[in-house]
Amino acid sequence: MISCLIVDDEPYAREELKDLLTGADGIEVLGECSNAIDALGFINKHKPQLVFLDIQMPRISGMEMIGMLDPETMPRIVFSTAYDEYAIKAFEHHAFDYLLKPIEEDRLAKTLGRVRSDLRPQLMEEITPQELQHLPCYLGNKLKVVPVATVEYVFSDLSGIHVATAESYVHTHLTLKVLEQRTALARCHRQYLVSPDAISEIVLQETGAEVVTHNGTKIPVSRRYLKSLKQHFGYS
Amino acid sequence: MALILHLLQQMCVYLVIVYMVSKTPLFKIFTEDAPRLPHKVLIYLVFSGFCVIATTFGEQVDGAIANTRAMGAVLGGLLGGPVTGFLIGLTGGLHRYGFGGFTDLACAISTTSEGLLAGMTAFYLRTHNKRALLFRPMFVFGLTFVAEVVQMLIILIVARPFDQALALVQQIAPPMLFVNSLGAAFFMSIVRDQKTMFDKLSSAFSSQALKIAERCVGVLAKGLNEVSGGKVAQIVKDETNVGAVAITDRTKLLAFIGIGSDHHKPGTEISSQLTTDAIEQNKVMYADGVEEPYGCSLSSSCKLGSCLVIPLHSDSQVIGTIKLYEQKNKLFLNINRTLGEGIAKLLSNQILYGELEEKQSLLTRAELKLLQAQVNPHFLFNTLNTIAIITKRDAEKARELLLQLSKFLRINLKRTSGLVTLGEELDHVDAYLAIEKARFPDKLAVELDVPAELLSLKIPAFTLQPLIENAIKHGISQSIDGGCVRIRGLLSNEYVELQVEDDAGLYVPPQNREGLGVSLVDKRLKKQWGEEFGLHIEWEEDAFTRVSILLPAPMLEAAQ
Repeated sequence: MISCLIVDDEPYAREELKDLLTGADGIEVLGECSNAIDALGFINKHKPQLVFLDIQMPRISGMEMIGMLDPETMPRIVFSTAYDEYAIKAFEHHAFDYLLKPIEEDRLAKTLGRVRSDLRPQLMEEITPQELQHLPCYLGNKLKVVPVATVEYVFSDLSGIHVATAESYVHTHLTLKVLEQRTALARCHRQYLVSPDAISEIVLQETGAEVVTHNGTKIPVSRRYLKSLKQHFGYS
Repeated sequence: MALILHLLQQMCVYLVIVYMVSKTPLFKIFTEDAPRLPHKVLIYLVFSGFCVIATTFGEQVDGAIANTRAMGAVLGGLLGGPVTGFLIGLTGGLHRYGFGGFTDLACAISTTSEGLLAGMTAFYLRTHNKRALLFRPMFVFGLTFVAEVVQMLIILIVARPFDQALALVQQIAPPMLFVNSLGAAFFMSIVRDQKTMFDKLSSAFSSQALKIAERCVGVLAKGLNEVSGGKVAQIVKDETNVGAVAITDRTKLLAFIGIGSDHHKPGTEISSQLTTDAIEQNKVMYADGVEEPYGCSLSSSCKLGSCLVIPLHSDSQVIGTIKLYEQKNKLFLNINRTLGEGIAKLLSNQILYGELEEKQSLLTRAELKLLQAQVNPHFLFNTLNTIAIITKRDAEKARELLLQLSKFLRINLKRTSGLVTLGEELDHVDAYLAIEKARFPDKLAVELDVPAELLSLKIPAFTLQPLIENAIKHGISQSIDGGCVRIRGLLSNEYVELQVEDDAGLYVPPQNREGLGVSLVDKRLKKQWGEEFGLHIEWEEDAFTRVSILLPAPMLEAAQ
């Protein structure tokens, strides 16, 4: 059984695809999401093997969402779109799977055949943005899209990943690894990333150091990451 | 005493001649502030002539000639400058020398120096910005007086024997000093009056032309037709006071205002040969009614007796004529002739400007066509997808959506660039919103609050639709939880305000240029009602984006 997730902002479109997949062999629909932020949470939690992903969605597009996925939990992606000339050209060029809406059953069967024979996720570096502009976050249960430029630091604890900006304190489903790779945030501790723009001073201590941000928050710096942090500012 | 009378008599004859000459265009030369070379030659000829005549008809007094020659030399110098003055003096002097007598040399020298002196004075005054003094009679009186005193002194110094010269001076000095000064002053007074009259006339002329120009602004913007032609003819008639004014295009009479309007009917073919000639030869045609008789080609009882026909141009094409008429018993004023030609030029410019405007609005229309043709393909294909899916589940609902889609597309395709009622525009919006609601049933809510009396309001087609599309595309559909689009109509005494508001608050001010749709809406509103109206955007992040359209209220009545 291949576990899959449907991501589309139009309820009828999700319903239709779900109907079509219900009749297909060896496919189990784990769930459906109406936006990329929910989808990220779902993927991290349920690790579906296959994701049907609409491109045009509110705030965070399908393409952006792929850039936010941890390569380790990256599922196989089948894009779906009603109309997007540019994206379709890219899919053709890289031989990525995609479906045109309204979905033709033959076409879907063909795509599923390809997926069944090789479920390995494809590398999508070339069509996904390398730098994230926005971070999908939650404030309590409310979805919030935070511009990366406003983030001061990020840290992880047992309850998840926390994002601190000058005004708010939210959490996200993105991993520290993805954030380190896809944003300007710099690693300063096993559990912390900090925005170089937010650093006011670095105070050296016996076991490592401490970063003080512009609004006075203190962030630990471990010995292991001190060197790279200092290099960031041109100290060797 | 007899000598004074004789000289005065002589002076009077000159002044009468001068007065008569002052009524001819030739005289305008003397009123110029800075005469050019050909005019200087003329001044030389005229005033040398004065000198020659003065000497010839002077009074023989003891072997000398009492005369008004100084008048010519001084005036010539004043009007023509140092060189002209010197030459006039020299000519007058040499002529006098030819008559002989014991003062011949003295007179030749003195007349030459008088001309030179006056010319130098004029030059000094011109270069020191005191030109006005030149035309003051009192000043001229004084100058001539001084010049004559100099002449008397020269006679005393040069003429021999001295006793005889002294006796002569004693006898002729008072009358000559007095009469020459007086004559020169009178002459200048005539010149000054004439100059003032010319100035007044030309300022009246300019103000008349300006007034016509001002009143005609915008009238011809939509081109030359019976309505605009009628307005222009009325304005020209009001301002020039001619008997009648007509405007024609290339084939027919567009407007006729004034005497004879009973039988000169707008809309009829051009009947006069004069007008046809003006159009074909692209020439100003003039029948003054004296040398060139003018007869009305329509009615023998027509009171009009003279006519001026001036072609109107657009680029280099003759597109019509403007005609000025005067009654049989009235003279066609020269000034109206010049003015008429000026008016024609002015109207031609306005027509050209109007055509430019027209081209501009054609461009806007083309942009609009483009915008209408741009049915967002995402919208179209997603709608088709939605309908395809719904067909399986609820055929009736699918049919309804198809009807909405075809309504939306039909309005989009046939839209003109003219005005439609707000009600019609809202129909278009309704069709669009019905489809979007079907696509996002849980996400999109719509609130419509437009008073019924606003539904007949005229607005440019395609005003609200792009704004609502934006509110959905960049607002609600980008908001994770969905939201509400509110369409409001507010009516005050002066304004109507239409608002399109979404509660996503995701508006981002454009970095370089407004989207084609929004800027085109604004452009068209401003073009229709002026700069104070149009579109403005307010927003609060995560709270709302509100696009307001401000329109004038009075058109509500016009629309009803």
